[in-house]
Amino acid sequence: MTSREAQVVSTPQSADPPRPRGRLAEVVARLTYPFRRGAAPAKQPATGFYTDTTVCIGCKACEVACKQWNQLPADGFNWSGNSYDNTGELSASSLRHVKFIEQFADVLPPPPSPNGRMSLDVLPAEPPPANRWLMMSDVCKHCAAAPCQQACPTGAILYNEFANVYIQRDICNGCAYCVAACPFGVITRSHFDGHTHKCTLCYDRQKDGLVPACAKACPTASIQFGPVEELRERARQRVEELHSRAVPGAYLYGDSPTETYTELNSFYLLVDRPATYGLPEAPFNPWIHMTGDYVRAVLSGLGAMGGLLAVFLVMGQ
Amino acid sequence: MQTAATPPAAGYADREPTKPPDWHQLVVWDVFFNALTTGLFLVAAVGELALPEVFGPVAVWAYPAAFVLLLVDLSLLVLDLGDPLRFHHMLRVFKLSSPMSLGTWCLTAYSLPLTLLVAIDIGTVVGLVPGDSDAVWWVRRVLLIAGLPVAFGSAAYKGVLFSTSAQPGWRDSRWLGGYHTSSAVVFGCAELLVLSVLTGHDRAAALLRPALGLLLVLGLIPLGLLLGELRPELTRRYTRDDLFRGVALSVGGGVLIPLLALAAVGTNPFAVVLTAVLVLTGGWVIRHLIVMLPHQAPLVR
Repeated sequence: MTSREAQVVSTPQSADPPRPRGRLAEVVARLTYPFRRGAAPAKQPATGFYTDTTVCIGCKACEVACKQWNQLPADGFNWSGNSYDNTGELSASSLRHVKFIEQFADVLPPPPSPNGRMSLDVLPAEPPPANRWLMMSDVCKHCAAAPCQQACPTGAILYNEFANVYIQRDICNGCAYCVAACPFGVITRSHFDGHTHKCTLCYDRQKDGLVPACAKACPTASIQFGPVEELRERARQRVEELHSRAVPGAYLYGDSPTETYTELNSFYLLVDRPATYGLPEAPFNPWIHMTGDYVRAVLSGLGAMGGLLAVFLVMGQ
Repeated sequence: MQTAATPPAAGYADREPTKPPDWHQLVVWDVFFNALTTGLFLVAAVGELALPEVFGPVAVWAYPAAFVLLLVDLSLLVLDLGDPLRFHHMLRVFKLSSPMSLGTWCLTAYSLPLTLLVAIDIGTVVGLVPGDSDAVWWVRRVLLIAGLPVAFGSAAYKGVLFSTSAQPGWRDSRWLGGYHTSSAVVFGCAELLVLSVLTGHDRAAALLRPALGLLLVLGLIPLGLLLGELRPELTRRYTRDDLFRGVALSVGGGVLIPLLALAAVGTNPFAVVLTAVLVLTGGWVIRHLIVMLPHQAPLVR
């Protein structure tokens, strides 16, 4: 049986539209192009990622697959000083980032005995704390009501037919308001092209019926891709399973909405506080305050204008 | 073997989850010029509509000044984009959910009546437009009335743009929009006062002096509320000396000294210009502290 990848390779690819000829035509095309709209594709079931951090082995195959598929440059061989984390954070050239959290007790040398001999009493009085190594492959959360999408003034950020948050690279003008709006620090403006970048959830692959590159490459099924509702059900079963296997700290982050934030279409199974993984403890959609902020701005301005007018009218007569 | 205390849950816990946008000095000046141009237009337009015989002659100088300030502001806005040649992409959608989109449209709409007003005034000066005709008078009135709400919107959106973000400090500043809008009117009053004094319109200056005093006092309300909201983040990220300098320049230099100067020195042109410079400097310092806040690493205590 031929793999889906092999089938896709043999299908005809769409050609780029013809380029305008002449300087004037180029300028006109450049000015009018962003205002053209194509037909919206038919809606599909919402898709997303479920990342089970308990089975992540930190191999970074997801990072490499993402870079390879999206033709992203390497970030250099940097020594971050933080475990095996060498890319440091999500960036315009790293749309996946594997985080490493080393939770090990400092081991102290045994205290010298009064007679100068090494004590044979090597067992600690109390059992040592559970040393562990947490790993998590971080990515855009594809929020159900994404602050970046609400912020974008050009309409470059939209929800595609799979309900994924997608940046249209040919529309983004690099205002960076989405960077300011994202509570997860995902979106980054590239110093190379000036536009903002983040995970596309492999929109191009999805359109061809393929699984995103990172999920395809993940050797432990830590990154799972599929219809979000199915993923949520699978994740809840996994949490119950972990609870029954004496991992009481396992829980889902972002699988359901909170008072201040919607559910995430890329959600996580964690075993420590969100902050340990660099995630906000209680993500907050900044737009909750927008109406009130406008009201305060308008009232303050009107108050000042009213005071000004009062002085003019009272003292000017 | 002996173990130390429980293992730290460190990981990424000491890092701010958000990422500050590449908004630096260019944006500080953009926010500043936004207040300069919108404030000047608002105060001049309100003055001309309320007391045309008093403020009309000085408003003729104010609109070209507001126009130049707007051009500077728009240039800064465009230059700050990652891809400045795509600035017009802002006009392909109108999104009420995006203060930046609303602001772009307000600024665009504000630029139209302002440009026409400047064109009429220049045309009048060079003799192409009959400045004393009823038709021109009515056109000016319509343009002023049309310009008021969009100029007001251009000022009001700016603070909300920052407060509806996830950045530390900005996200807590519920009164940033209120402060910026009222401060824009203060700026406009100070600018028009300088223009009145320099062009010798004493009646306008005599009204603008108490108005500026009142606005400076009123402006302390949103400023105080804003600083109260920002205090935790300001003290976390700025040293005590930095904060003292900031408050001394913005409240002392930008409000209290100008209040004293307005009461003491009258319409001496030099003193009026100095007062206005102090007011504007105080406003700039506040904007600088706030815009740069997420870029300041938390202090190690």
